[in-house]
Amino acid sequence: MALIRVEHVDKSFASRHGSISIMQDISFEVKDSDFVAIVGPSGCGKSTLLRLIQGLDHPTAGTISFRDRKVDTVCSQMAMVFQSFALYPWLTVAQNVSFGLEALGWESGRIGSQVERYISVTGLDGFQEAYPRELSGGMRQRVGLARALAVEPAVLLMDEPFSALDPLTAESLREEVLQLWRDPQLPPDAVLLVSHNIEEAIQLADRVIVLSRRPGHILAQVEVDLPRPRDRKSAAFYDLTDRVYSLITEGGSAIASGHSSESAPSAG
Amino acid sequence: MLGGRTIRPIARGNSTPATAQSAPPVTSEKVLPSAHPATLRWSRPATFLYLAVPASIGALAVSDPGFSAAGLASYLPTATVDVSFSFLRMSAAYLLSLAFALSYGYYAAAHRTGERVMIPILDILQSVPILGFFPVVVLVLYNLQPSGFGPNLASVILIFTSMSWNMVFGVYESLKTVPSDLREAADTFGLRGWLRFRRLLFPSTVNRLVYNSVLSWTGGWFFLVEAEIFTTNGAALPGIGSFLSFAASGHNSEQFIAGLIVLVIVIALLDFLLWRPLGHWAERFRYDQAPSGEGEALPSGTSGRFRRAASYVTRGVRTGVTRLSTPLVQLAAITVRPGRRTSARRQAFIYHLSLGTILVLVWLMLIAIVVAVYTVFSGTITPPVRAQMLTLPLAVGFSIGRLVIAYIICLAIALPLAIVLARGPRARRVGLPIVEVVASFPATALFPVIIFELVPYISQEGAAILMLLTGMIWYLFFNLLSGIRSIPPDLEEAARSFGLKGRKLLRRVLVPGVFTALITGSITAFGGGWNTLIVAEYLNVGSGQSLSVLGVGQLIDIGYAESASGGYPLMVGALFALIATVITINELIWKPLYRRAVERYRYD
Repeated sequence: MALIRVEHVDKSFASRHGSISIMQDISFEVKDSDFVAIVGPSGCGKSTLLRLIQGLDHPTAGTISFRDRKVDTVCSQMAMVFQSFALYPWLTVAQNVSFGLEALGWESGRIGSQVERYISVTGLDGFQEAYPRELSGGMRQRVGLARALAVEPAVLLMDEPFSALDPLTAESLREEVLQLWRDPQLPPDAVLLVSHNIEEAIQLADRVIVLSRRPGHILAQVEVDLPRPRDRKSAAFYDLTDRVYSLITEGGSAIASGHSSESAPSAG
Repeated sequence: MLGGRTIRPIARGNSTPATAQSAPPVTSEKVLPSAHPATLRWSRPATFLYLAVPASIGALAVSDPGFSAAGLASYLPTATVDVSFSFLRMSAAYLLSLAFALSYGYYAAAHRTGERVMIPILDILQSVPILGFFPVVVLVLYNLQPSGFGPNLASVILIFTSMSWNMVFGVYESLKTVPSDLREAADTFGLRGWLRFRRLLFPSTVNRLVYNSVLSWTGGWFFLVEAEIFTTNGAALPGIGSFLSFAASGHNSEQFIAGLIVLVIVIALLDFLLWRPLGHWAERFRYDQAPSGEGEALPSGTSGRFRRAASYVTRGVRTGVTRLSTPLVQLAAITVRPGRRTSARRQAFIYHLSLGTILVLVWLMLIAIVVAVYTVFSGTITPPVRAQMLTLPLAVGFSIGRLVIAYIICLAIALPLAIVLARGPRARRVGLPIVEVVASFPATALFPVIIFELVPYISQEGAAILMLLTGMIWYLFFNLLSGIRSIPPDLEEAARSFGLKGRKLLRRVLVPGVFTALITGSITAFGGGWNTLIVAEYLNVGSGQSLSVLGVGQLIDIGYAESASGGYPLMVGALFALIATVITINELIWKPLYRRAVERYRYD
């Protein structure tokens, strides 16, 4: 069953020079226990797409549904991890993590145990009372992750979550996100990751949706069935990276004819 | 699996491997040392200075032959009682300002239509000299309720007017500039209503509210002294301001010094017990986080407090200047039609000409209305008052000249001082706290001394300019300081690596770098100057000693002093002239300059 269904979505913004089309005719599905990555050049509307899916913003045309229900307000079954962390500097780590639970109206006792649990899941034990500015970038993004997981979302939306981190920290955090996703005891069921890092997308995702330059449309949906843990140095990994890379750089020109979602042949 | 997920008990070993198994060790994830030590940092230079002020006053006093320590001590109890009255008045005005700022600011930030009207009104109110309202407010409230409550209410309202504007702008601005990711995060987790207010909106205003409060209290003390002196025209209003002016008019140096000592102690106590801890706490509500992996040395919340406060006021000015224009400006803008074949320069000229004309017309109309109303209700205007009203244009000219001279002197002092303090870490550590303490002391309390002791040496004109200086210099200084310090170090480094030195470095990097700060500092300094003008041009300290130089501030005061004998139209006429002048100068000079500065000299 499709968890998220995106159908023929257009998005344009009004500007002084008329309306600017950000994306056109985007259609895809995310199923239970999918790990989907969206890649594309900057400005192709990746992040906007993520916001449309959660219902923070509305498409100009087309529909987005979650479990067969149209998303028209902010969907509480999804939780977002931000590139900039978006932590509240005046709240402690624990308070930041309990943020979404408070909004859901949980009673404080339940919030307390839930927060403890996800603080330890994300390896933040001992930092409950620290403030975000006292933490390194990697620790901050753990707080962002804990905050999102604490509401036990069906879908974890990740908007360039590793871009603001140094390479080593990013690498270890990627592994942890994979562990979380594979752990059947823990949320989320599915992960939707937006990234401009092709290797990252291929390393993590089952399927990579490749968007074109603005106005963004889907160039291809590339299935990644490399065995996990994936070896970045393997020939198969390299081939796949290369293919996505050339899809993006050649832009719409080569694939323009088939810009509706085309499933690429298995690459494994 | 779907829908209502329940919390499943989870073995620790099952969940933590996420961390344990990850291949690269998490070496880079060290935790930064806490930026918020719980202990209060006492700034040593500031402490010394607080002790040094009464000590040096005492030393000066001992040289006075009629002075005795016992005499001084005998005045301390009354001074303490009076200072508590003043403190109560300040607190009442502050609480009023806080409530006003929160409600006005929230409403203006949340409602677009409200915003369109409320912010221009605020812009006009903040640019109008507060002291100009003193006589009017006092006369009205005093006549309503001559004893006790009336004058007290008048002084509280006057202090309120000096405190509230920058706080309102603080609330409004900080609500408008909540980082979009924090707003979005609140949206994604569905925060609404009270929870949203508690978690997002209120915290986002705290930092600026605290810093603006420091400024408001400083301004409040400055005007409190005047508020109490003004209102003591009839019955004495007990307070430290009237205490000091009473002492000064009686030539009683023991009493005067006792009052000063008590005032300094109260300001120092407030600083150490309230503002420093609060400033420290408010650091938590700032957005800028240290870049990952590096421990940014946060300012301790003590030094840099005024600098930040000044930059916040600056941002208030910016809101007024750039985002919304006053109705008058919008009116003037109608005369310039875009798209016609006129050069930009010509359009600007037409625009300024029409704006100037509109402002002058409005001013004349207001005066005409006042005169007409007065003639209808209270008979004719007496010949001496009419003669003085005719000197108004000249008086305005004199006042402007005085302000310009005072401003040039301020700049000559503030710019080098700011450069030295901004660029030398040692100088900053020692010098800045001292400057902050000096700046927080209300100079108005010393005005009687200036008149008694200095007029024989520097003439009335010199004394007037000196008093103006005290009301202008800090705005300029703190703005310049923050301007210099906000020049990105890489720009300066780049200039150095290309071999720019000395004058060239100054001309190519430093001056353009501080230009915006210079303009905002000048705007706020002139604002402070217009306020001080009303005291600096005419001050009657009793016992035949008074200062009076021709100027618009003087005419307001004379009109007030002679309100019983027909001076009322003079007072109101001069007040309108002053308001019109201030708004005209703001619209014609400062705002265009500011826009240009922002366009050309900003870093993105």
